[in-house]
Amino acid sequence: MKFLKRFYMVIIFIMLYAPIITLMVLSFNTSKSRAHWGGFTLHWYESLFQNTDIMQALYNTLIIALLASVIATVIGTLASVGMNAMGKRSRSIFVGVTNIPMLNSEIVMGVSLMLLFIIGRMELGFSTILISHITFNIPYVILNVLPKLKQINRETYEAALDLGATPFYAYRKVVIPDIMPGIISGFLLSFTMSLDDFVITYFTKGPGIDTLSTKIYSEVRKGIRPEMYSLSTILFATVLLLLLIVYLHPDKNKAGSRRKQPSKLRRAGGILVKRVLPAALAAVIIFGGIYYFRGSSTAYTGEVVVYNFGDYLDYDVLDQFEEETGIRVIYEEYETNEIMYPKIKSGAVAYDVVCPSDYMIQKMMQNDLLQEINYDNIPNIRYIGDIYMKTSEQFDPGNKYSVPNYWGTVGILYNKKMVDEPVTSWKILWETKYKDSILMQDSVRDAFAVALKYDGYSLNSTNMMELNDAQELLLTQKPLVQAYVVDQARDKMIGNEAALAVIYSGDALYAQTENPDLEFVVPDEGSNVWLDSWVIPANAKNKENAEAFINFMCRPDIALKNFEYTTYSIPNTAARELIEDEEIRESTTVFPDEEILSRCETFNYLGPDTEEIYNRLWREVKSQ
Amino acid sequence: MRRLRRLKNKRAWLAAPYGVWAAGFIIIPLIMIIYFAFTSDEGGAFTLANFSEAFTGETVKALWLSILLAAVSTAICLVMAYPLAMILAERKRGAGGLIILIFILPMWMNFLLRTFAWQTLLEKNGVINSILSFLGLPSLNIINTPWAIILGMVYNFLPFMVLPIYNVLIKIDKEVFEAARDLGAGPWQTFRKITVPLSVPGIVSGITMVFIPALTTFVISDLLGGSKILLIGNVIEQEFKQLNNWNVGSAMSLVLMIFIVISMVVSAKTDKDGEGSLL
Repeated sequence: MKFLKRFYMVIIFIMLYAPIITLMVLSFNTSKSRAHWGGFTLHWYESLFQNTDIMQALYNTLIIALLASVIATVIGTLASVGMNAMGKRSRSIFVGVTNIPMLNSEIVMGVSLMLLFIIGRMELGFSTILISHITFNIPYVILNVLPKLKQINRETYEAALDLGATPFYAYRKVVIPDIMPGIISGFLLSFTMSLDDFVITYFTKGPGIDTLSTKIYSEVRKGIRPEMYSLSTILFATVLLLLLIVYLHPDKNKAGSRRKQPSKLRRAGGILVKRVLPAALAAVIIFGGIYYFRGSSTAYTGEVVVYNFGDYLDYDVLDQFEEETGIRVIYEEYETNEIMYPKIKSGAVAYDVVCPSDYMIQKMMQNDLLQEINYDNIPNIRYIGDIYMKTSEQFDPGNKYSVPNYWGTVGILYNKKMVDEPVTSWKILWETKYKDSILMQDSVRDAFAVALKYDGYSLNSTNMMELNDAQELLLTQKPLVQAYVVDQARDKMIGNEAALAVIYSGDALYAQTENPDLEFVVPDEGSNVWLDSWVIPANAKNKENAEAFINFMCRPDIALKNFEYTTYSIPNTAARELIEDEEIRESTTVFPDEEILSRCETFNYLGPDTEEIYNRLWREVKSQ
Repeated sequence: MRRLRRLKNKRAWLAAPYGVWAAGFIIIPLIMIIYFAFTSDEGGAFTLANFSEAFTGETVKALWLSILLAAVSTAICLVMAYPLAMILAERKRGAGGLIILIFILPMWMNFLLRTFAWQTLLEKNGVINSILSFLGLPSLNIINTPWAIILGMVYNFLPFMVLPIYNVLIKIDKEVFEAARDLGAGPWQTFRKITVPLSVPGIVSGITMVFIPALTTFVISDLLGGSKILLIGNVIEQEFKQLNNWNVGSAMSLVLMIFIVISMVVSAKTDKDGEGSLL
């Protein structure tokens, strides 16, 4: 029996800690891909401390958790004292209200706060996150303090009053020490909850501010940077060490029986908790603060809020821009056009530069969300090839609103070891023998483009019958699909997780360099050719800085850097000339030739009604 | 005496800051959800259309699937947690440190990363399958299926089941067990007639603490379901974050709140003294 119990505990323990150990192991992995082990390294621990945005997110997380838990502890303790003194009816109202955040689901709470902030015209950012965290922390404090208040002996307090103490003095000297353990555990619980929160922060945060949670979430799809693993390992190890010293010391078990001199170790533990921990925390805050403000103290002349696709430029370029122009870049990313659009439309955040795709630019123009660009401020536009400016006119007649940034096609990336037949048609994505080895695009237009093209229709179809056909196809395909992904497709293909993936041409080149078994093809039925361009939203606050940013991005050396980082095709012909590797410069994967392009269509904006139909059909596919 | 009462009345005002805070950031936001749920997108006139739009075929399907997965995970959590809570409660002293080590410590490793790590463990060429194939066992292919989501839910919410049950179990007077044994009850009978009935508040509290977050999660299904499985949480997240349809999203949130209210009422009824609380 005892063995069984032990065994059971061990099983649970393994289940709870297996992921944590996995993450720790990954923090020492040389390979960036979590799919395979490349050898031992400490590199990620070094680069962690040079990684400003991760350190910034860590600092935000800590400062928000600390401020939120301190403020919540004050308000919550006062509230507990007040509630304890109340009449029965008002107390039960307060208790009921306190229960709401505890039992309410995080998503409902996050959404309701987001609505409040947007309607109340509060700019989403640090303060809104802080308010939300305080709100969900107060109940934890009350839950810890109120029971302690009920337990205390009232007579001591009354005695103190009789002996001439003022009420405040008596309270401070008699009651507060009694409820202190409750206050402390309420504070610690709040701090931990704040630190681990994702959902509520996700709904109430604004651009340019990230906590560790939201940063990780935005990285999940495109692959988490290994520095995240090393940071978590450090945090975890620190807390484990503290806990081991404080809680697991053997003296604690005997504390009741032998109340003599506490041992040295125990005393050391006590000192650690009382002195070292607060000091360490203070040090973190102060140094973090210096670090934080050092960034903003380098006198910036202005700022530019950039909203871009995930992993869509070499991040060094942003630093370079800041150095050369003195304009501070606030940078945020999105995954798909559909995620970006409502954010711009709601106007809750004023972005200065955005990089949407062709059809989305058309939609934004029609909804008056863009403003004309002053090309006098963008002399570098001369480096963009004529053919791309012409393609742009399909959605931006007269080239008034947009500057091409990247372009490419959509095709099939397949693993030659797993697929032994020639891939020429979209049909292969419906072959049952590749069940669970197919990765589809997780965005409406791309997914429908594949099905429509396979059926021989235009990918801008508005014909209900054709769309129903396409939906039918996607539904029959769903059982074969391993996952619907966006940026993750690349890493999964590199890690040999799947045989076939629908992928953007830019991702294909990178995947091929990492895994030579991969091959990219644009199927014979044709596909989508797309263009992503810089635009300036109508409500931009820093238009001139935005133009300076776009101009900088069009500089051949910068465009080349971005190309080398993302491997997406650039319309910047001057930069293409600078590519040293001839094989890449002339590669048809990177720069598709006329023959391939003649088979491809660009997406058009189809109007709100058709868009609604696409969304509905796609949601039906996803929820099937 | 009068002085004391006057002091007491004064002291009640200390709850005022919290009262203002709660009104502003708990009550008003909920009223906004109700407002948006019942008004139309344009003009803000009263309408029930959001609900009929919210509950078209696929959302209902997502809701049912969420209820099903949440129910299965809650059941698994209960079955796993009860013996664990009993084992922990048997330990006379020192279980406190152990519990913190087991359940609170993982929280210091980010929740998203922990869940994400299951991907690495479960993948086709992942850690678990490598071990299985090394042992010559058939491979386990649950990643991107509902089973992976259930695993993620059980993994994340198990502590919320163990702690309330544990807290109830340690409060049961040991003499009750002795009395039962003296009266001739076997271990099974003691368990069935004494332990279980006395731990009901903890069980109920555990069930609500697991069921509600499992029902409404969108992160776990996102990370472990390969975006193939849409839960009600995902639908709401999309309504707000991608489709920008606040009215329909609010209507869905309001429906979710019905579940929350039900569980609040149930747990208030069975657990009057707050025995089965998390703490």
